[in-house]
Amino acid sequence: MTTHTPLLIIGTGFAGLGLAMKLKRQGDNDFIIIERSDDVGGTWRDNRYPGAACDVPSHLYSYSFKLKSDWSRVFAPATEIWEYMRWCAQDEGLMPHIHFNTNMLDAAWDETSKLWRVQTSQGEYTANVVVTAMGHLADEKYPAIEGIESFTGEKFHSARWDHSAQLDGKRIAVVGSGASALQIIPEMAKIASQLIVFQRSAPYVIPRPDRAYTEAEKRRFARDPESMEALRSDLFWGMEYNYAQRRGIPKSIAEAYTMANGHREAQVSDPEVMKKVTPDYEIGCKRVLISDVYYPAMQSANVYIEASALERIEGNSLISQDGNAFEVDAVVFATGFEAIEPPFAPHIHGRNGLTLSDYWSTGMQALDSTTVAGFPNLFIMNGPNTGLGHNSVLYVVESQIDYIVGGLAYMKERSATVLEPRPESETDYVDEMIDRAAGTVWLTGGCKNWYVDYRTNRLTVTWPDFAYAFRDSNGEFVPEHYATA
Amino acid sequence: MGIVLTKDPVVEGEILVDGASLRYYDSMDSRGERNPIVLVHGTTGSTAVHYGYLFPMLATRQRVVSVDLGQPAGELTIDSFRRQVEAVIDHVLAGQKVTLVGYSLGAVVAATVAADRPEIIENLVLVAGWAKTDSQQLLRNSVWNALYESGNKDALAQFTVFCAFGNPFVGARTLDELAPAIKAVNVTEFGAAQMQVNRDIDIVDRLDKITANTLVIGCEFDQMVPKRHSKDLFGAIENARYTEIPSGHAVVFERPAELHKQIDNFAADPHRHPAGTIIPTVKP
Ligand SMILES: Cc1cc2nc3c(=O)[nH]c(=O)nc-3n(C[C@H](O)[C@H](O)[C@H](O)COP(=O)(O)OP(=O)(O)OC[C@H]3O[C@@H](n4cnc5c(N)ncnc54)[C@H](O)[C@@H]3O)c2cc1C
Repeated sequence: MTTHTPLLIIGTGFAGLGLAMKLKRQGDNDFIIIERSDDVGGTWRDNRYPGAACDVPSHLYSYSFKLKSDWSRVFAPATEIWEYMRWCAQDEGLMPHIHFNTNMLDAAWDETSKLWRVQTSQGEYTANVVVTAMGHLADEKYPAIEGIESFTGEKFHSARWDHSAQLDGKRIAVVGSGASALQIIPEMAKIASQLIVFQRSAPYVIPRPDRAYTEAEKRRFARDPESMEALRSDLFWGMEYNYAQRRGIPKSIAEAYTMANGHREAQVSDPEVMKKVTPDYEIGCKRVLISDVYYPAMQSANVYIEASALERIEGNSLISQDGNAFEVDAVVFATGFEAIEPPFAPHIHGRNGLTLSDYWSTGMQALDSTTVAGFPNLFIMNGPNTGLGHNSVLYVVESQIDYIVGGLAYMKERSATVLEPRPESETDYVDEMIDRAAGTVWLTGGCKNWYVDYRTNRLTVTWPDFAYAFRDSNGEFVPEHYATA
Repeated sequence: MGIVLTKDPVVEGEILVDGASLRYYDSMDSRGERNPIVLVHGTTGSTAVHYGYLFPMLATRQRVVSVDLGQPAGELTIDSFRRQVEAVIDHVLAGQKVTLVGYSLGAVVAATVAADRPEIIENLVLVAGWAKTDSQQLLRNSVWNALYESGNKDALAQFTVFCAFGNPFVGARTLDELAPAIKAVNVTEFGAAQMQVNRDIDIVDRLDKITANTLVIGCEFDQMVPKRHSKDLFGAIENARYTEIPSGHAVVFERPAELHKQIDNFAADPHRHPAGTIIPTVKP
């Protein structure tokens, strides 16, 4: 059986839910959302490892059109963010629109009927317009490690935490030193008999100004919502300030070094540890991370830092690139996500059957970071050049929501059945991305990072500018960039 | 002597005006789609101090020139500064139309330049500026002066930070967190002379000669030059639009990224908002 809908949204993370909320609020009920999992929440349903929390303050990392006055802390734990998203979905009446346990397998543009044909684990859907909101950090990345299958203990990725695993008193290895690893390591240090941290490269870490909000503050926020908006504005522009680091502005780089080096020196006393946790690349090339508990944990008696990548596994023995072997009972892979080549791309077929991954074989690209020439009636959220290392991703998401809502209204207004991104507009936009990215630390900082496409050395994941500039540029649909039929 | 503003080399130069030796900085950009921006700093400031963030960030998109105001041999008046800025523009950007940006006292200077040379000042941005010194400013200026004369540098520095930053900004920080800002206050004789100039500002009669597309930026929590002054400028300058930033007078330190957005948006397209518009403050 085929289900038809004018608009099919795929994914119920912040992107998919946010778009649906906006549509619903303007009285548009003609859409279906499919979700491969059994609940909403995306990132925050999946990432509930011990210590999981946001690293953009919650009063900013939430929808501007759905403020929450009673965030428990400056940086809310993952479960609270997940609860917030479930509340949004319920409170805004989205649940009846969502088809859970429905995995998109394949989506193809049908030129004859001018429809998308979407195959899912629950049968076929057809839709006039498809919005992919399948995330940019939704599919975990395992490093290709020789002998991984020979390991008989507990092993899982940070985003697929096995909450039934018994880790207390065990010998545990954490592989990675990114944002998730930094949150996991202090928690594992508390329970492991021995913790081995495999660290390919040391991150820069600065203080994390976390604290609980008092009941009085929460009530003030509730009674005076403007005070929430004022806080949000402070937080946004405070984070925005740090974009100057990505441009390598000497004053900002100096400030960042002062903060990161000062934090490390204040927290690390062991000279051996100090050597290992001191980064060897220019600050800002990878994300600057926040934690007050990471360095203390790294110095615990039961923690050993192997300042080398994990190379292979033999039975329960983990062997590093430096050739050192460690016997452990459990391995946590905090090794990040597939961001350069989105896992959905091979399954989206545009005109003439071309897949997005073929089209993107030299790196992701999109018009206004949202649509792709040759893929009519398709909007992509959190796709090419949307990532932010220095500010809230939701600022980009909300800009894209406005863009897509504008595009849908434009189609309706013209009674258009086909919305066709102009290839020349896309080319202009890609050139503009190259211009904007030139001179950013991602391209000049001399470190491997997951924002730059390894095939072309083009920055394809991150938005290479202030966050505000994303909204200036892409916060409104641009009819001139499209042809309609 | 050189200060490092951007990653790329910035040309530094010096010219002599009325016996004052003036330093200027030029990002030397050939993209040329926009008018070059000329930055004028405020009281006791300099390019490095007031535009350490804005100069390099604006320069990522276009040519930026900045002036370090200097002490003339003779009497110091607002017109001394006007002649200095005009001299740098004539020297560095001869024959070009410019977007002139002034902050605080620099906004007063910029307004006088725009009134005197409407043919070259095509666009004008006045950040936390004013047209006529009022009693609130005079009272603050007198207290400042008494502290300066007393030689109590510590009290002067604390008073300066107390007035310069917005009350929400100060209130949300510990004294330890504010210590660097207090420590950074450094008043020279030239700075004190500028404080005297601030007492007698009255450029009201010149404002109707300004023809530039003008953006007036007021700071919501400004206690040094309260935003009503910016609203006065908005009313007095024919081709003006107005916007507000939720910050104290020290907006170049408190909200430099937001200030960047406002200046950059305006420089890119000065006509986007018609004269008379109050451009809403960004709600992120
Ligand atoms: C641990 C962690 C912490 C983070 N912290 C922050 C932070 O502090 N601040 C910040 O700005 N950003 C943070 N991020 C980035 C975060 O990913 C984004 O902010 C945001 O949550 C992305 O939302 P999304 O809706 O695009 O994707 P997701 O939340 O990933 O949602 C995608 C949804 O699509 C579904 N889906 C995927 N493929 C299919 C398919 N084939 N069929 C059906 N459904 C499918 C998934 O199940 C999922 O529910 C963090 C990311 C991680 C992993």
